[in-house]
Amino acid sequence: MNRVLFIVVGLALAANVQAGGNADKGKQKAAQVCVACHGADGNKPSAPDQPVLAGQYYDYLVNALTDYKNGRRTNPIMKGFAAQLSKQDIQDVAAWFSSQTTSPLHNQR
Amino acid sequence: MDSSSRFAIDFGTLGLDNNSEMSKPIFASLAVLALTVGAQTGSAQNKAGEDVPHPGTENFHAQCIGCHGIPGYKTAFPTVYHVPMIAGQQPGYIVSALKAYKSGDRSHPSMRGIAASLTEDQMQKLADYYGRPAK
Repeated sequence: MNRVLFIVVGLALAANVQAGGNADKGKQKAAQVCVACHGADGNKPSAPDQPVLAGQYYDYLVNALTDYKNGRRTNPIMKGFAAQLSKQDIQDVAAWFSSQTTSPLHNQR
Repeated sequence: MDSSSRFAIDFGTLGLDNNSEMSKPIFASLAVLALTVGAQTGSAQNKAGEDVPHPGTENFHAQCIGCHGIPGYKTAFPTVYHVPMIAGQQPGYIVSALKAYKSGDRSHPSMRGIAASLTEDQMQKLADYYGRPAK
């Protein structure tokens, strides 16, 4: 019984950690900053060389945005948009996009 | 052709498919389907007029699977995060990402090494294999 409880609590904690940011706040931020190129849910890139974000891993998105913001990843367009985002904003929009389930992105099996 | 079935097929031909629930008849028919339809990484026609993959390109995408094909797999260096999903990504973005690694604009050590070994044509073929056009 204790072991089951331990696992359940552990899973609940793991889910929270993965969420990281606030998806609702991220949705609002994305509607201001990201929507024009990536679509409101990150599923409708406006050009062929822009990525689908919906359903992508949360921590990958945080890492990418952080790299754009600090100049480690160089893309003139993304540099400008990432610069507008605080660390918290980055976590929020990453939580929003990663939680979208209608994405074409999928793990291969 | 449904992209997800294409992945299943090619994983099967690689012998990496460990889905024990998949019965052998289905497995065999998928393999036949794969041969019939041909890999999108490039194909030619044999004497019988059937489409067959170019020699050497059948499993070209296999180099990506070790990291991108394992659900939940994470990077180890220099920072730890999930290796991004590339199946279903836009082909144009996959090519631009590979080019950025090759040119040094993107800095992940493993990806720089891999992208440096790819020609632009090979990048496009990988992108066409993993990606799909936006709807």
